[in-house]
Amino acid sequence: MGLSVDGGKLEVLQTHPSDASAELGRWVFRLASAVLILVGVLQILDATGVADFGLTDWRPFLYAFLLWSVALGAHQVLTRGEAGQQALFVLPGLLFTLAMVIFPTLFGLYIAFTNWNLNGASSHHFNGLDNLITLWNDAYFWNALGNMVFYVLSVLVQYAIAFGLALLLNAEIRARKFFRVAFLLPFMLSPVAVSWMIGKSIMENRFGPAATLARYLGWEDPAFFTSPWIARTSIALMDGWVWIPFMIIMLLAGLQALPNDVKEAAKVDGASAWQMFKAITFPLMLPASMTAIVIRIIFELKLADIVINVTAGGPGGATDTVSSYIYRVYRDRSDIGYGTTIAEVYLILIIIFITLLLKATSRYMRKMV
Amino acid sequence: MRVGIYNQLMAMQANRREMLKGAAGGAAAIAASGSLGTMTLQAFAADSVVSQVMKIPGAGNGSPTDADWQKVGELCLGPTKETVQPGEFKGVEFAFMGLNNQNLHNFLFRGFLKPWEAYTGAKIKWIDLAQADYNARLQQTIASGTVDYDIIEMGAPFEGDMGVKDLLSEMPDWVKKQIDFDDYVNYLKPPVGTWNGKIHRTCIDSDCHTMNRRTDVFSDADLAKEWKGWKDQAGLSEWGPPKTWQQVQAVTKFLKGKKVKGKEVWGFLDQPKPWGGFQFYFTASRATAYVKYPGEKNWLFDENMKPLITNPGWVRGIQDVVDLLPYEPADQLNADPGTTAFQQFLTGTGSLLEWWGDIGTVAKTSDTATIGDMLDFDILPSSDDVYNFRKGQWEKLSTGPNQAPNMAYLGWGIYVMKSVDSDSKRHKAAWSAAAHLGGKDLSMWTAAYPSGFQPYRKSHTNLDLWALAGYDKKYIGSYMDSQSTSYNHANSAIEPRIPGIFQYYSIAEDELTRVFAGKETAQQGANNIAAAWEKLTDKLGREQQVKYYRIAMGLA
Repeated sequence: MGLSVDGGKLEVLQTHPSDASAELGRWVFRLASAVLILVGVLQILDATGVADFGLTDWRPFLYAFLLWSVALGAHQVLTRGEAGQQALFVLPGLLFTLAMVIFPTLFGLYIAFTNWNLNGASSHHFNGLDNLITLWNDAYFWNALGNMVFYVLSVLVQYAIAFGLALLLNAEIRARKFFRVAFLLPFMLSPVAVSWMIGKSIMENRFGPAATLARYLGWEDPAFFTSPWIARTSIALMDGWVWIPFMIIMLLAGLQALPNDVKEAAKVDGASAWQMFKAITFPLMLPASMTAIVIRIIFELKLADIVINVTAGGPGGATDTVSSYIYRVYRDRSDIGYGTTIAEVYLILIIIFITLLLKATSRYMRKMV
Repeated sequence: MRVGIYNQLMAMQANRREMLKGAAGGAAAIAASGSLGTMTLQAFAADSVVSQVMKIPGAGNGSPTDADWQKVGELCLGPTKETVQPGEFKGVEFAFMGLNNQNLHNFLFRGFLKPWEAYTGAKIKWIDLAQADYNARLQQTIASGTVDYDIIEMGAPFEGDMGVKDLLSEMPDWVKKQIDFDDYVNYLKPPVGTWNGKIHRTCIDSDCHTMNRRTDVFSDADLAKEWKGWKDQAGLSEWGPPKTWQQVQAVTKFLKGKKVKGKEVWGFLDQPKPWGGFQFYFTASRATAYVKYPGEKNWLFDENMKPLITNPGWVRGIQDVVDLLPYEPADQLNADPGTTAFQQFLTGTGSLLEWWGDIGTVAKTSDTATIGDMLDFDILPSSDDVYNFRKGQWEKLSTGPNQAPNMAYLGWGIYVMKSVDSDSKRHKAAWSAAAHLGGKDLSMWTAAYPSGFQPYRKSHTNLDLWALAGYDKKYIGSYMDSQSTSYNHANSAIEPRIPGIFQYYSIAEDELTRVFAGKETAQQGANNIAAAWEKLTDKLGREQQVKYYRIAMGLA
């Protein structure tokens, strides 16, 4: 590629590959593709026991894929010249996504229809709809999904608190910078650390400060994780402690981007603080609010760490989440097939739910505007 | 021996007069004791290897270091020298996979095996794993056929996982002789450590649940007075430690709201919260006295792997937990075994705790423990009656209450992988290393000093050997008596070492937590567990599982 100034116009000159190099590029790609297909077929034959080539793992296929990726890059450059070179900037990311995201998702879909259990007497094989039927009848899954409704609804409470705090941090208060950093601290903490510090220490029944305070306030024998609703609420509180700062950041950014002239005009018109919030700030903040809520819900649907550490899903499954249940199925039961089924079904449910949520919010916002 | 026990016992030796006092007092108690008393008279030469190693580093000299481990390894090389020529394994290199918990396990093995490597010429590559990563790594290597180690430190429950894939090397006779196999406590002898009749395991540890009891609570005069007027004594006419589960229930109900020296006390502590499959061991310990019928090996499944958990014995064990939870601390439902032992019992909450043989003894030296040495030990409680699942009825035995200690987890062992069998030099080298780690003299040291391992040989009950390391005989006598009585019990409950056993436990935990939370009855929960276990057995391959079960339980 080069630049030329012709009659005062700047032109980008594209160099084009010769026919010979284009042909070479095509052959390199064909050869690499043939190697990839051949190695793939040999691996499948070996893995399914049709033939024995002494392959102990899938590394040969991985190496063939890497070779094919390099050949694809060379093919682009040799056949398309400058345009091929430009494609080289995108290809690594594209191939990485293909190998690390698209393939695992599709492979996961296949695993979800097998009976793969690490302790199984025989190797895994296709078991049709068995896993889906098991899932349909799995009380633990539906219980966890029901709990997720509660946790997702708790995001609205978190949003209300976060909005209030964001308004405070946006106001001209003393030590505003300090408070902005201080409010962010819980978000910087690992949820595992929060589980231990709050769930297992501060809320500990005998010596925890929260229990002591509860006794002082008249709760005779405070236990935060033994009755279903209290346990669920306690988990939501800890989860809120970690994630409210995240919503504060997003809402604060939205507040700082609001046009001042509208607010000043309202002030001149004599609007009260509440009227200004109701008629100006809140409606104008809707896009930022919806973004914060939707992102937060996506995170919430993956809630697991605090539950695993503090209650292990108890009492009696009252605090269980779908993710913590998947964790048990994988880690404690080595049930790869069924665990993957739950994960894939849950992914689909999340996609459907988020799509509907986005549609509903955009309709709502259109109405408001 | 766990670090905690060591530290505690070492701390107890700080005052030599106390030690002598304790020893004198203990002598009478031990002489009066049953099985253990006879073991105290075993002789050993003053200059024997074991008497030398037991003084390394000795009381009051701090925790052993790598130099000490190497010194012990060097002193214990005698049996190796009898079977291996110097430099015989030159050029042999193999991988050893084990744990790195508390900087013990593999850390000790490195020290012990360093002199062995120098003598034999072999080289060892170490693979250290955290406990949490162990099961996943093990199962993945087995399932994917990517075993990249030649020797492994492994718990007996995983023998089924390894055995069915025929991954383990059979112990040669010369190793059996070198490690003095007959010295193992009874329950660690076949079928434990074997698969399909072949011995695979060199023991380095043992496990069982025992009862830890607060001596101050059960000797309190005020409580004794109040107990006299208590209605439901379950046969415990005089105030003291309960001996049966029925008495545990009664005592725990009695103790609710009581105080000793102004402090609130509680009775038995249950462990209802799931713990990665390990919680089930504790529910099982609540039930073994009800369901483990003398002379019958089956207690969890029958010989066809039909779950027995729905029978009235198991249901009573589960119901006992449900009945007792209202009399336990308010947050007990959210207490897992670790919390119960380390955060509750050791800090003064609860006066009765079922745990592995070591935990209660940490009491005296732990910074967070407040119960001091007000502790003694006993075998798990018995039951007035036992359920005979063959006859479908409860029975009172003519021999008295039924005792059935739960050998939960069966201890760690050293296993050699079959991959070394094809090369006779590697085979001999790997087994020689395993035999060195499982050697008799070395085992006495690991039992007495921080190692992560508990006593597992009959010879470990020789209190004179413990005394060489500076231990108080009364204290260690009580500790060892609870251990050895459990280990050598004729009716101990041995778990089935079948593939995927922890999957069965994990499923049970999930269901039990629903029962304990009052969402379903004990019988419903037991029925659900049985149904889920049946489904799992089908999934893993029923025919194979039944076959493996019979092998594991010594029924085949």
